[in-house]
Amino acid sequence: MLKTAIDVGGTFTDCLVLDEQGQIHQFKSPTTPEDPALGLINVLTKTAAFFKMDLTEFMSNVGLFIAHGSTLATNALLTGRIAKVGQMTTKGFRDHIEIRRGYKNIRTSRFNVFVPPYKPLVPRYLRIPVEERILYTGEILTPLKEEDVYAAVKKFREDKVEAVAICFLHSYINPAHEKRALEICRAEMNGTYVTASHEVLPVFREYERFSTTVVSAAVGPITERYLAALSERLKGLGFRGTLYLVQGGGLVQSVEESARRAVSLIGSGPAAAPSGAIRLGQCIGTNNLVSVDVGGTSFDICLIQNGAIPTTDYNWVGDERVAMKLVDVQSIGAGGGSIAWIDSLGLLRVGPQSAGADPGPACYGKGGSQPTVTDADLVLGFVPADYFLGGEIPLKPDLAEKAIRSVAEPLGLDVPTAAKTIFTTVNSLMADKMIEVSTKRGYDVRDFALVVGGGAGPVHSAHLAELLEIPTVIVPRYAAAYSAFGMLNMELGRHFSRSIIARMKLLDLERVNQLFLDMEAEAREVLSEIGIARQDTVLSRSVDMRYVGQFHEVEVTDVPLGTLGPAEFEKITEAFHVRHKDLYTFNMREREVEFLNLRLKATARHETLKLAEIPEATHEISAALKRRRRVLWSLERGFEETAVYDGTRLAAGHKISGPAIIEEPATTVVIPESYVCTVDGVKNYILHRR
Amino acid sequence: MARGRVNPMTLSTVWHSLQSICREMRHVVDRTSQNYLIAQLHDVSIGIWDGTGRTVAIPIGLSTQYLGGKLSVEYVLNKFKGNLNPGDVILVNDPYKGYCCHLPDWGFYRPIFYQGELLFFTMCRAHQMDTGGSFPGGYFPNAYDIHAEGMCIPGIKVMEGDREREDVMELILNNVRWPQGVRIDNYAQIASLRVCEQRVTALLDKYGRETVQACLEEMFDRTERTVRATIEKIPDGVYYGEAATDDDGTELDVPVWVRCKLTVRGDTIEVDFAASDKQRKGYVNCVYNTTFSVTLSAIFMFMDPSLGEYHNEGSLRPITILAPPGSVVNAQYPATVGASPVNMGHQIIESVVAAMSQAMPERAIACWGKRYGHYIFGTDPRTNEKYVVTTFDMDGGAGAVRGFDGYEGATSIGTLGEVNKGNVEEVEMRFPWRCLRWELAQDTCGAGKWRGAAGIHWQYENIGSDAGMATGSSDGEKVRAAGALGGEPTPNSRAFLTRQGETTRLNSHRLYQLKTGDIIHKISGGGAGVGDPAERDPEKVRLDVINEFIGVEKARDMYKVVLHPETLQVDWEQTHKLRHGGAGAKEAGARAT
Repeated sequence: MLKTAIDVGGTFTDCLVLDEQGQIHQFKSPTTPEDPALGLINVLTKTAAFFKMDLTEFMSNVGLFIAHGSTLATNALLTGRIAKVGQMTTKGFRDHIEIRRGYKNIRTSRFNVFVPPYKPLVPRYLRIPVEERILYTGEILTPLKEEDVYAAVKKFREDKVEAVAICFLHSYINPAHEKRALEICRAEMNGTYVTASHEVLPVFREYERFSTTVVSAAVGPITERYLAALSERLKGLGFRGTLYLVQGGGLVQSVEESARRAVSLIGSGPAAAPSGAIRLGQCIGTNNLVSVDVGGTSFDICLIQNGAIPTTDYNWVGDERVAMKLVDVQSIGAGGGSIAWIDSLGLLRVGPQSAGADPGPACYGKGGSQPTVTDADLVLGFVPADYFLGGEIPLKPDLAEKAIRSVAEPLGLDVPTAAKTIFTTVNSLMADKMIEVSTKRGYDVRDFALVVGGGAGPVHSAHLAELLEIPTVIVPRYAAAYSAFGMLNMELGRHFSRSIIARMKLLDLERVNQLFLDMEAEAREVLSEIGIARQDTVLSRSVDMRYVGQFHEVEVTDVPLGTLGPAEFEKITEAFHVRHKDLYTFNMREREVEFLNLRLKATARHETLKLAEIPEATHEISAALKRRRRVLWSLERGFEETAVYDGTRLAAGHKISGPAIIEEPATTVVIPESYVCTVDGVKNYILHRR
Repeated sequence: MARGRVNPMTLSTVWHSLQSICREMRHVVDRTSQNYLIAQLHDVSIGIWDGTGRTVAIPIGLSTQYLGGKLSVEYVLNKFKGNLNPGDVILVNDPYKGYCCHLPDWGFYRPIFYQGELLFFTMCRAHQMDTGGSFPGGYFPNAYDIHAEGMCIPGIKVMEGDREREDVMELILNNVRWPQGVRIDNYAQIASLRVCEQRVTALLDKYGRETVQACLEEMFDRTERTVRATIEKIPDGVYYGEAATDDDGTELDVPVWVRCKLTVRGDTIEVDFAASDKQRKGYVNCVYNTTFSVTLSAIFMFMDPSLGEYHNEGSLRPITILAPPGSVVNAQYPATVGASPVNMGHQIIESVVAAMSQAMPERAIACWGKRYGHYIFGTDPRTNEKYVVTTFDMDGGAGAVRGFDGYEGATSIGTLGEVNKGNVEEVEMRFPWRCLRWELAQDTCGAGKWRGAAGIHWQYENIGSDAGMATGSSDGEKVRAAGALGGEPTPNSRAFLTRQGETTRLNSHRLYQLKTGDIIHKISGGGAGVGDPAERDPEKVRLDVINEFIGVEKARDMYKVVLHPETLQVDWEQTHKLRHGGAGAKEAGARAT
């Protein structure tokens, strides 16, 4: 059976197919924003043709199909194409999502008061109070008044609400009231998407939990519809295998589970790449990696230490707080399409505005007139005018120069110097972000290998590495389909969590063990629903801890399976002290520690993806020399003739010293003077600093 | 400095790096501190100054605390001349000698040396959960003098060569309540300074001392040019603004006034507070540093918003601030200053905002809901530990600006929304209090063509033992803050205490004894409005009624919009009559009643 991974990106829909011999085949087709399924079918048709099959025959041969749900859920939220949601709240607490803890300037300076007020996903008149109250201990103070629930349902029906979010205080510790309200809604509002905060995110801090739940309800119906349509469509094409979706948390899940917790698809776009990076790191024997993906509009970074994909619950999607654990991918608006401009202080800035896919960079000749990073790359000679995306998009150097002149003149620079300034500015932006992501966590970025993906990635990556003194860069064979490659490496499973808020002295070990057992039972059930047997389920635990009095927690991952006793907790506490110091330069061993959330990650056992080997080099490297091109490596030295190699003619063991360029059909690998590139046994380009 | 002397790429990188260092520092404090004010409410500021005290980077923090940080840096420089060494950390909280705001704000300073030369200063200032004095928390009226408000720390070294001066820290911590907690917060602050030093040193390594210093000059010059260009566009003239606090907490029910005269001349602004009240016995007084800081902050709101994170020394050059010594905006030792950030700081901002809104009506800004906080201190029967709790949860939202309604939930004009509100679940777990209600309150938004955000209805029950309560950080029960261009000022706030079924009024700037089972009830006023309410789109008024931001009566009386009481549809005919007068206007008003 074939395994297929589909990444519907902003510009292209990528398809990777893993065949029974372990070969991976790569296909690309333009994304069709109006109906993404169309672009998907186009690329599948292209793929089927390669296998000399018609689409139905090809699809019936696909056993596992992994796709993104991201573009859908995230974009629905960002563009406001969301469901009409009704919210049920504890009486007296209906405005949490509007007060939203006073968060105002999420993305601008506090001195900017001319920002439109936040518009909550549920208007106030659809936030209906229900009499009930549970305490932080789980005790019921006021029983659920079911009449209020029925009254809310009536109001929701009258207002033709499409989704309901049930949000009661302290439901993370005692969900009884939410469960009953859920039951009533499901019985009374057949066909309406209904969810409750304990289902979506059963951890304490109600603003974050309610906000995430409301987001889940808002994208729920559209997600459910899309997934149903996608399943239907694939079935219609003859597909009889299993469809999985990438979750923002970095695992893949079934259609049913994704629909139930629609918010889990938020942020799934950049969540796949790190799994691929880890696999690539194995090619050079390291699991300390910085994964970067340079797309048209954004630059995504993920720092991987010891082969573990980092996650965070501090996420804003557009203006919405999503407190679900998502893969900690930091993003800035810097990519091939990012626009260079001059601000009111006379500084050259690049991004975050992007020319996107349409009109695209000026050199695409599709009407763009503002200078972009790709225009600079072209003027500098890094990317070919005649072989961009294998020649699919012919680039026009004169248009690029004209666009760059618009910023060059006010700065008093000539065009090549301005292009170089754009190139170095965007590289610095990316490098700064990489420092922030690494130093913020106490890691020296020079101890990591850089894994780079995205069409524009290999153009900039070695320069980034040079700036940050990173010794090794991996440009993977599938750099241009980086995300899809990541999907083939992802684990199937889900994250679970429970709150247990207690200081060490008062920690009820029995309860801790019970909560872990509960989560493990739930995990096995969820996994067995999709056919994963008990013996194939892999569990790993973690706990959130802090010093008594602190407000933020540190996740400690050194938590053994099985029954935990005082000895285990001593070790866990020690691990916490060490981690606190790593993160924040100090710790306080004399201070008591406190436990907050217990976490469990349950995944299906999975085999390392085998990468097909390529033949050893038998010919001289000169046989792969394609041409020479003038490239502006340094302003002092001016344009220099540079060797350009044809990537398709390179074989294992070939070595190329910079300055040089390798042209691949889907990307261009730029090798500055300070790096030497080796082609490894599976056709990755490994760049080493001299 | 000559244009083009610095490579544009290097300039841009250095400038942005200095900003991101500040954000990283705040992240460290955020994640490790334990005081509700710092960790949850962000009552913390950080910044970078150069070796002579010029302001380099101030992208995040509370205006009152640190925009005037340069004055403190100059003080530290003078005091420790010839005696500053790498690894020193200096602690200051003295408002008079050390140019701090009030005693709870402890500022830690660290000089940054590079190749033996003092090139930068970094500072982290944050509101401690306690600073000694007669009552916990710092915001209590009626202290005898500043010494009764707490420990007054002049610039002293608490670390030398990166080693703590244990005896000094012991003396300090021995004089605060909750020393263990204060210690954690101090460590968090000091850790952030260390992070700053590492990052600034790396920046200097990478670009070289001369280049970085050339970048600073270029940054200052460019910012100055841009700020001057903005001021140049404002019509020359003299503009006035005023604001008051309920009283000074000692002489009750007599409002205390700040009056500003703002003169725009060419590309400069002069703000003169000469007409303000004299300094008071009560604790509302501001020292010059606070006046300087918040005045700048108010003016920055009217500058190009893209300058936001880029403000530095250059932004300060075109602006002159005059505050006569002995006035409530430049109090002299030993006047009490406990409430200065809120009870005078906010009024200073409000007066400047009112004046600037006249100077730049196209960017008119209305004042925000007045601060309505308090401190409660008692013992938690669950742990038998003492606690102090304060919050911004009950503060009303932002004022409107020309073009937009006020931002709901946004908190405190003195911090421009930098402080956050909390979570009920966190509060109930941590303190012996139970929340009964926390919602937006109806008819508490200042009316206007663009209306202010709503106030808050906040109700908590004491399930712990007897406790004390200081309403020192409350305001706005008698005074109102200005709207702009005909918008309504901020509505008044009010508070009540229910004890054994009986409800009495609570007032701002007082001390109260609370008993188990007491219920505190607060309804705060929201933000003020911009523009004539009778020009607000009736459709928006209708939505506000449906969403219960305003009632049908207020719609009619303030906004001149008549709604059918049942269907809540706009009665266009009656609305037209009410808005545009004519014979039926009065009748329309009466009929709708």
